[in-house]
Amino acid sequence: MTKKVSLEVDLGPLHLKNPIMPASGTFDIKNTLLNKKQLNELGAIIPKSIAFKEREGNPGPRICETDCGMLNAVGIPSKGVEYFIKEKLPLLKKANNIIIVSLTGNSLEDFCNLAKKLSRIKEISALEINLSCPNLNDGISFGINKDRLYQLIFNIKRNISKLIIAKLSPNVSDIKEMALEAEKAGADIITIANTLLGMAIDVEKQVPRLGNYMGGLSGPAIRPIVVRMIWETAKVVNIPIIGVGGVCCAEDAIEMFLAGASAVQVGSANFNNPYVMLEIIKEIKEYLIRKKYSSIRDIIGLIRR
Amino acid sequence: MLTKGKIIEQINLNNNYYKIKIEAPQIAKEAKSGQFIMLSKWKIKELFLKRPFSFCHIEPNLGTFDILYKKIGKGTKILAESKIGDSVELIGPLGNGFNIPESVHKIAVVSRGIGVAPLMPLMLESKKKGIEIYSFLSAQKENLLLYSNKIKSISRETFYTTDDGLKGARGNVTNFLEKVLKETNIDVVYTCGSKRLAKHIKKLQKEHHFLAFVSLEEHMACGIGACKGCVHNTINGLKRVCKEGPVFPVEEVIFDD
Repeated sequence: MTKKVSLEVDLGPLHLKNPIMPASGTFDIKNTLLNKKQLNELGAIIPKSIAFKEREGNPGPRICETDCGMLNAVGIPSKGVEYFIKEKLPLLKKANNIIIVSLTGNSLEDFCNLAKKLSRIKEISALEINLSCPNLNDGISFGINKDRLYQLIFNIKRNISKLIIAKLSPNVSDIKEMALEAEKAGADIITIANTLLGMAIDVEKQVPRLGNYMGGLSGPAIRPIVVRMIWETAKVVNIPIIGVGGVCCAEDAIEMFLAGASAVQVGSANFNNPYVMLEIIKEIKEYLIRKKYSSIRDIIGLIRR
Repeated sequence: MLTKGKIIEQINLNNNYYKIKIEAPQIAKEAKSGQFIMLSKWKIKELFLKRPFSFCHIEPNLGTFDILYKKIGKGTKILAESKIGDSVELIGPLGNGFNIPESVHKIAVVSRGIGVAPLMPLMLESKKKGIEIYSFLSAQKENLLLYSNKIKSISRETFYTTDDGLKGARGNVTNFLEKVLKETNIDVVYTCGSKRLAKHIKKLQKEHHFLAFVSLEEHMACGIGACKGCVHNTINGLKRVCKEGPVFPVEEVIFDD
């Protein structure tokens, strides 16, 4: 007898059939091994952050493996919003009924224009604001400055009616403060967290391993940090949290649910195994059955002190 | 596609150089020269990413293929400790591969060290088509001129250079290429293993008329074009080595100075 168990979750008004989705930048609808049926099995799809105008990204080398993870300094290459709407959106629409679009910008104005343009597209369920973009004119990212974060989210939100997800940077001393600021500014959901800033050096050649010197650390190495951040934040905010950082298997995702995440993104583990999200969905179900829960909702935020 | 493969032979060619034979029928059936696979023989929490390896021999009928590798990092160290029957996880075949244009009569193959790997199936394919092969092999020392006997047996002419000069000449193997280009109508030059050699070929292309293709190498995360991690500079902007490559027309590639 197959037991019925529900993986359905609600991120505020956004209803998902299950809580597993790719992290932005690790999934490309034009370069995936997943077939139509498999794409539809995901809770949502998030393409790589898009920018208003075409941008090339950083010079290579863009990636290097580190202990228990990897660094990337890809730098968000994007063919621009027009290309996205024309070439990728039709494919995404066919793939899944929940499309969350991640966006990046060089200025507040840039972000607002892009958000406004995308907000007119009814098939987009939510906009995820990438607050960790390091390529701003003065080099200070929105994600590490409380006032800037507030200004950005507030200004995007007041002009449009789409759900706004604030993807927070973990490169701050107090994630709770940033999360509260995002909530105050009107964010509907927060994602915790983007990659951690890191660096690796080739000691033989005595050069940095990345063309951009510094890059974003992802993978199992950062997961305990993110789990802690989710747990800390879940106690103080009233909006749902999407957890992301180093999830490689169902156990890793469940850890984030227990800490207080309502959904989980799978990032660079997709590079190793393009089918890992499907395996995680299946194994979460098995866990819930084994632990005699009828719904994933029953375990969200179980860890409290 | 993602599939399991079985290691059915492992040979230590010399020092840190190994050849491994893998049984994976679907991949062997679809593979063509110049393409590659992403391989892991480890769990994701032992080593995070798969590693790219070119096909150096393909046997579609036997359902097997060979890869060459140098034991140099954590992944290849694990691979070197493999036993017959061990299982590996594979994604592939990936990348564009080599193309042999119609009406080609003579090709030149220029390799450096382990860069000979993707050129091997190309040479066999060319030989079968009756194309004359001129081989230019370069390595640090003689025992790293991998497959030199086999290459010699299928080539019209073979030239060697080693850094220590103990086998063949010292210096650039492309100097021999230059001589041959003056005397013979080479239609296409294929190269892998050294950007320095590829750069020299690009220069020669301006004086002699031939097509030239280089197989590039970059660190890769996904191998399927999703992560945008393995880019190389070209006259058409940054291109993904895994997707638009690994084989590029030499004249399109911008080599750093």
